[in-house]
Amino acid sequence: MPLEHHYPALIIAILFGFAFLSPVIYKYTRKASVPVFITALSLTIFMALAMLFRIYADGPFTYHMGGWAPPWGVEFRIDLLRVFMLLIILGISSWIIVYAVKDLEHELKHNLIGWYYSLYALLVGSMAGMAMTNDFFNLFVLMEICAISACAIISIKEDRACLEASFKYLILSAMGTGCFLLGVAMLYMVTGHLNFAFVSEALPQAFELYPNNLFSASALFIVAFGTKAALFPLHVWLPDAHASAPSPSSAMLSGLVIKIYAFSLFVIFYQVFPRDLLDSLPLNQIILWLSVLGIMFGSIFAMVQVDLKKMLAYSSIGQIGYVFLGFGLDHNMAIIGGLYHILVHAIMKSMLFMTAGVIIYSTGVRRIKDLNGVGHVLPLTMVAFTIGSASMIGIPGTGGLISKWYLALGALETGQPFFVVIILASSLLNAIYYMPIIVNAFMQQDEFQIKAKPVPRSMTATLVVGMVAVIFFGVVSRPIIVLLEQAIQFLL
Amino acid sequence: METLTKIIQNYYYMIAILLFIIGMHTMLTHSNLIKKVIAMNIMDASVFLLFVAIGYTHGGQAPIIEEGKDILFVNPLPGALMLTGIVVAVSITAYALSLVVKIYRYYGTVDYDEICLIRSQE
Repeated sequence: MPLEHHYPALIIAILFGFAFLSPVIYKYTRKASVPVFITALSLTIFMALAMLFRIYADGPFTYHMGGWAPPWGVEFRIDLLRVFMLLIILGISSWIIVYAVKDLEHELKHNLIGWYYSLYALLVGSMAGMAMTNDFFNLFVLMEICAISACAIISIKEDRACLEASFKYLILSAMGTGCFLLGVAMLYMVTGHLNFAFVSEALPQAFELYPNNLFSASALFIVAFGTKAALFPLHVWLPDAHASAPSPSSAMLSGLVIKIYAFSLFVIFYQVFPRDLLDSLPLNQIILWLSVLGIMFGSIFAMVQVDLKKMLAYSSIGQIGYVFLGFGLDHNMAIIGGLYHILVHAIMKSMLFMTAGVIIYSTGVRRIKDLNGVGHVLPLTMVAFTIGSASMIGIPGTGGLISKWYLALGALETGQPFFVVIILASSLLNAIYYMPIIVNAFMQQDEFQIKAKPVPRSMTATLVVGMVAVIFFGVVSRPIIVLLEQAIQFLL
Repeated sequence: METLTKIIQNYYYMIAILLFIIGMHTMLTHSNLIKKVIAMNIMDASVFLLFVAIGYTHGGQAPIIEEGKDILFVNPLPGALMLTGIVVAVSITAYALSLVVKIYRYYGTVDYDEICLIRSQE
């Protein structure tokens, strides 16, 4: 078989391979490890793009690990939806790693940096696998790899707050995977398969015979993915974990890790479960109302925070609510809005955590109160913060507007204007806690007394890229929307 | 009565679910971190038991196929999967225990309530 048929497996193999090599490379040649990592990530992005063009040419395809066809082998399914997610993961993570180079030297012990890259590569590889996999058990294994490496990039900083936060995260995510595996057992019991396609073929009949198994499985999946994606009442681990982690880890965790679980839940509910099940149980309603609570409470909690990174972490709880809102509304427009929000929020939240990281790197300030006048010391950083916040609020010209627009359209199409009110109210709440920071940072002159270290060029460059991307996806949204419209054709 | 017979017939599923609930409850409510890790293992083990029970056939043999013989065999797939699951659970446990060691070094206790108290005083 020609090499391009193996791209799905190669993407994961390259990332996991680098994870094993990284500490060795770092030990012998410190300078080489980042260029090698970026080369590896670029290679994977190239492969993902090649797969995208192949889908446009020949339609969706599957890849069988080791040549074993399902139901025995592990299968990867590559369609537009999966490639969309894959490209977000690979693109954002290579963007963050450029930023991470200088930040990590500041935040970690030097001998740990090689290990950090190795954990980072494991995290990216497992998320890429989760985006592509078409097999329940494979999904479970990748989820566990993702959980361990996500906790480890928090605890690697090794201070009191990080250790406690990552233990809490580990326990709750172990509960999540336990529930997921039990749910998979329920499905395996009635269908005898683990492959998504085979399970979804067998489920309509199984649903008539053993509805209780499917009910419990769907409840367990909501708990499992809800915990991992920080859906509202299960979000308790998120603020500490995301706020205490090193800034590149925060950007990664808030930007990508919570999204991939929301995406997996979407794939399972809409691609695997039969339509009758979704109609006979109020699953969508549960997700919908939990997401509404998350949107409101995430914003309200964010308002009272004193720590900048903690505020951003609470804001993530509100923002992941939008993604679930789109899935819960169960209308094409709303789902497109939710999926588009995965992309936009990944960019803007990563950028906001990076600006927080730059502020900490350069001045050491973490408290929101102490940020008055920082706009005069770090003008570019605060402009990036402003654009990121504008996108959070949904000001026209930024990506945040497009996803909110589609969510609102979906809510109106399904005849539930209440959710439009929620979206508007939450935008207002976002404005309430982001605006004062911006206004005080620029308007209060002479307030900021701390001498700022110069910001390294690689950090500034990543912020500029982020600003351009936020505005680009706000102005030129059409190609992505068209891609998503084609990607969710299976719902029609 | 019918429900009761069903429960008795499928008692191995019930035991697995019971273990799962014990594990989850202990994990979420006990404040001792080591107990949390143990409970995590109980929870994982319960799911492994459930999976293996699904694959069991009464009177079945190991799935080694001999020519000319038509034997009843147990489903080998759940067993094979759970072997992977056990490996995953071991690695999570190892990582969790190493975190507990570090937490003990930094806080001087493995009790979560005490840690919260220490953190609130900082």
